Amino acid sequence: MAEGWPKKRRILGTKVKRIDGPAKSTGFAKYSYDINRKGMLQGAVLRSPYPHAKIKSLDTTAARKTPGFKGLVIIAPMPLWLVVKAEGDTLEIKSIPNKKKKEKEIRRTVKVTPTVTILRANKIVKLADLKVDDQVQVEVEQDVVGRELFFVGDEILAVAADTEEHAKDVLRAIKIEYQELAFVVSIEEVLKNPDKKTTPGPQPGNITPGKEFFKGQAADLEAAFKNSDATAEGTYGVPVISHQCLETHGLVAEWDAEGGLTVWASTQATINVMNGLAGRFNIPPTKVRCITHYMGGGFGSKFAPYPEGFAAADLARRAGAAVKIMLDREEEITTAGNRPSAIGSVKIAGNKDGSITGFSIDCHGTPGFTGGATVNLGLLPYIYADGIPTFKRIHTVAYTNAGGARAMRAPGHPQNCVLTEFAVDDLAGKLGIDPLIVRRKNLPPNNPKADKISWAGRRNTVYNEQLDLATKLAGWKEKWHPPGKGKAGTVKHGIGMAIHTWGGFAAGGATPNECHVIINKDGSVTAESSTQDLGTAQRTVTAIVTAEILGLQVSDVVVKIGESQYGYSTGSGGSTTCPAQAPATLLAAQNARNELFKKVAPKLNADPKDLVIEPGKVVDTKNKKEWAWKEFCARLGMDEAKGKGEWSLAISNEPGNENISSGQVGGVQIAEVLVDSETGVVRAKHIVAVQDCGLVVNKLACESQVAGGVIMGLNYALFEENILDKVTGRQVNPDMEFYKLGGLGDMPKITVHMMDMPERGVIGIGEPPTISTAAAIGNAVFNALGVRVPFLPLTPKRVLDAIAKGGAK
Amino acid sequence: MKNFTYHQPTTIAATLPLLDAEWGKTELLAGGTDLLDRQKDYVSQPEKVVSLTGIGGGFREMSSVSPPGVFPPIITIGAGVRLVDIAESKLLAQYPALVQAAGQIAGPQIRNMGTLGGSLCQRNRCWYFRDEHVNCLLKGGRKCFAQEGENQFHAIFTQGHPCVIVHPSTLAPVLIAFGASAEIAGPKGTRTTPVEKLYHAPVKETQREHTLAPNEVLVSVKFSGGGPQFAKFCNASYEVKQKETSDWPLVQAVVAFHFEKDSKIAKGVRVVLGHVAPTPLVSEAAAKSLEGKEVTEANAGLAGEAAVEGARPLSQNRYKVQLLKVAVKRAALLAAGVKPYWEG
Repeated sequence: MAEGWPKKRRILGTKVKRIDGPAKSTGFAKYSYDINRKGMLQGAVLRSPYPHAKIKSLDTTAARKTPGFKGLVIIAPMPLWLVVKAEGDTLEIKSIPNKKKKEKEIRRTVKVTPTVTILRANKIVKLADLKVDDQVQVEVEQDVVGRELFFVGDEILAVAADTEEHAKDVLRAIKIEYQELAFVVSIEEVLKNPDKKTTPGPQPGNITPGKEFFKGQAADLEAAFKNSDATAEGTYGVPVISHQCLETHGLVAEWDAEGGLTVWASTQATINVMNGLAGRFNIPPTKVRCITHYMGGGFGSKFAPYPEGFAAADLARRAGAAVKIMLDREEEITTAGNRPSAIGSVKIAGNKDGSITGFSIDCHGTPGFTGGATVNLGLLPYIYADGIPTFKRIHTVAYTNAGGARAMRAPGHPQNCVLTEFAVDDLAGKLGIDPLIVRRKNLPPNNPKADKISWAGRRNTVYNEQLDLATKLAGWKEKWHPPGKGKAGTVKHGIGMAIHTWGGFAAGGATPNECHVIINKDGSVTAESSTQDLGTAQRTVTAIVTAEILGLQVSDVVVKIGESQYGYSTGSGGSTTCPAQAPATLLAAQNARNELFKKVAPKLNADPKDLVIEPGKVVDTKNKKEWAWKEFCARLGMDEAKGKGEWSLAISNEPGNENISSGQVGGVQIAEVLVDSETGVVRAKHIVAVQDCGLVVNKLACESQVAGGVIMGLNYALFEENILDKVTGRQVNPDMEFYKLGGLGDMPKITVHMMDMPERGVIGIGEPPTISTAAAIGNAVFNALGVRVPFLPLTPKRVLDAIAKGGAK
Repeated sequence: MKNFTYHQPTTIAATLPLLDAEWGKTELLAGGTDLLDRQKDYVSQPEKVVSLTGIGGGFREMSSVSPPGVFPPIITIGAGVRLVDIAESKLLAQYPALVQAAGQIAGPQIRNMGTLGGSLCQRNRCWYFRDEHVNCLLKGGRKCFAQEGENQFHAIFTQGHPCVIVHPSTLAPVLIAFGASAEIAGPKGTRTTPVEKLYHAPVKETQREHTLAPNEVLVSVKFSGGGPQFAKFCNASYEVKQKETSDWPLVQAVVAFHFEKDSKIAKGVRVVLGHVAPTPLVSEAAAKSLEGKEVTEANAGLAGEAAVEGARPLSQNRYKVQLLKVAVKRAALLAAGVKPYWEG
């Protein structure tokens, strides 16, 4: 059984400032965007200006003669071929079929012109250099003709030039003709013409119809709607939004003389980027080094090299120079992922005691041209599925000619939360009761069979406790009023709440996360891991855990993270990093300590079993002796003490490990708003967020994560929306001007309360706090006006429309 | 962006010969917060950029003179004066509308770079106009895409306007309400024109949102407010914004009038509207409605109703009609010093 977390916590759970805070705030920290290698070239991507088109012709002659031109790659897969014959100007090649996939051999004959590129071992070669059976990659530029493009921004090719300006000149010198094809960018149009197909994928039209899911029988649900005290109906919706990472996607790629590749990537998955590039360029992963010392936000959209990253590395191998491609803001918003929309027609029934008796929802959402799996509406009715006796749900995926979706901070949950929690408050309004009563009444019950410290065993208790705390911090009792019945005046006060849940277990997968701790003879300590700091203060987490175990200060630990060479780690998604990395660091530090004791004890006539670490020293409990840390470590002589720690979901599930890391959290948020009933302008005044996350490693960083989640949720509620023009199919606001994001003046007071539950071990906190904010704000606006503003963002237009339909005067 | 030659003359006189008789090839650069974006986005591709940043003296200064019997004082602001200096000026105590409007423009970075002249002469923010790939009327195309497209932030006074942009300047409506005049240098010498006459609704590529000739330079603006002796000059600008920080107004209303000594009756009322038409829009109807009346909530509300007369909103911006009514009402009340009923 693992030793686990120390019973007495010295640094764990306290407020520790980020160890890289000064480096980040002074500009000393180098992000991928900041990397400038000697002789580095700038890349740029040619993209479809149309939402759906076919390439009719391509002529790069002029582009290749443009000043500063250094290279051009077609963005397409580049399989390996075997040379069959290479003679004159003709190359004959055959494919290398994957036998497992039962692929057939393909042969191809290519006339080699200046726009045909042949690569062998990642170097451009001439036809004359080739031998039979050489493994080559062959790029035929004209292959791009006929390719179908599915959204504005769809990648066609990339170029490199000596400067950013020249790279853009090269792009503009490319002569390309398109055949425009029919397209759809509005979800309403997809639903009207479900058979019209303008997107790729297996679906017959642009729709993957949903399957109806039922809890209970149809008759039960009908009876609930018929026999309950009240029913409420509404159609609610949330828009497609973008991740808007402040540091855009991209990387700098540089090849070395030995055929190794180093990339400085803005990623939330160093190992995944390493593996992706190794696969692409047919080299062992150990020859790829992915460096992500600092990165400016990913939110689920940065798990792979992506087309721009592959293109930069490809341009770099061909040009023999480092190449940088970082997306510009328009590319970032239109091509680097989104959170799918969700629109649902809901019917909900309930009784005066607050019990919800039935729920039905028919909903749909669009991820863009691909990414249907991210239209995750299978959690409805959110939170209350176990509490509500009967419900049905059906959700349809509607594809549109827009950039594809990627996971975004709590994929699916914010949408599920809005579609459910709006209905809950509308029902409470119909019943004439405080929505707090409805929430308490329908919370999922504790599972009496489950372990008492587990989520299932105590979720009802935790939610109720969170509701107690949140309502107290927000002054719910004093401030809540029936919807639309607040103090008279032009500016209406409203208060609303919503509840969320999330997993936050250690990362799954076959390979555990690693951390390595090294104690040197001078007493210095290094902790190494390939994990990346997505902005969550992971670097500080590693330092805190190491310092806690070794009796040191946080500043004593040198943390090296964000380099793929430091062992295996998983991508930072699903709030899995801290619950995987903190235990891995715990074990690494404990193992390094044990190794230190083992090596030094004999030299001090001590038994390792009797040695313990206290702050700044090692104590021999039997012989009542003690040594200062440095003095003790000096006895290592020419040696060092190393410890490796490994952690994963599977390890956390082993008996006895439930106190080290676990999962499932709950959270309650309460928003207080002021709504100007004449202008429809909504201002959030105060948001209370109560959150549990098991054992709190760094209280300051936890609170910061929660506040960040609240800010993101507020933007979702009030400002953000990808607006696509139906005539051109282009996004009209791919910027930060009309894609609105709140500034300092738009931020409310944010009160964060962290529930510390050390007995549950570490649980991830990245995603949960952004889930319920938008629903809480929407409910607060309902409370202010007495009328539902059903669609986010709550713009003045939508608020005024709702008021015009019959709300507060 | 396309390569260009760069010039930085140190006087207006040296600037004029660098300019062309036609739009397109030469652009004037002041704070750069508009032009540089347009160049980088390939919306404007000048061959020559003439920077005004080397010009000193009155071009970059603000002055106040109080001739006997004139109140409030006569203010002259050089076109090169930065927005932040207007927002923080002590000379402008009698002109809260201008201070409010300048202080609400975008964020501190923009206000530290942007200038008065730039605010008055900037190009519109229509998202179709700003998209290189959309060939709209103002770029030589055949149609205005906003008419049938995404027009939630566009004009609501659209009659007679094939292009339905809104004029972006929030300082222009203030200066028009103040009856300000502009001093303009051109090849034939210097001319003075009311700021109101600086604007027209553009309909084609060869036009700008303003009426300056391509070879003219805006040098300064001058205003007083010009009430009779012992009158109190009342003025305010009210913007409805979705965001508090770094946002364009959805609508703006500027109301100016004067109270004669010991009177609470609005005289000489001027109402100018922003972000509702391709030009700053003088509302005679709203002014007439309030003229000679006490500025009560009811009367201010009537002025708001009058201001929206004749509005012809587009498919997605009917809400701006309501916003405009409210903005005029609130601006009038603020100008009169009435306690804002809309603040909690």
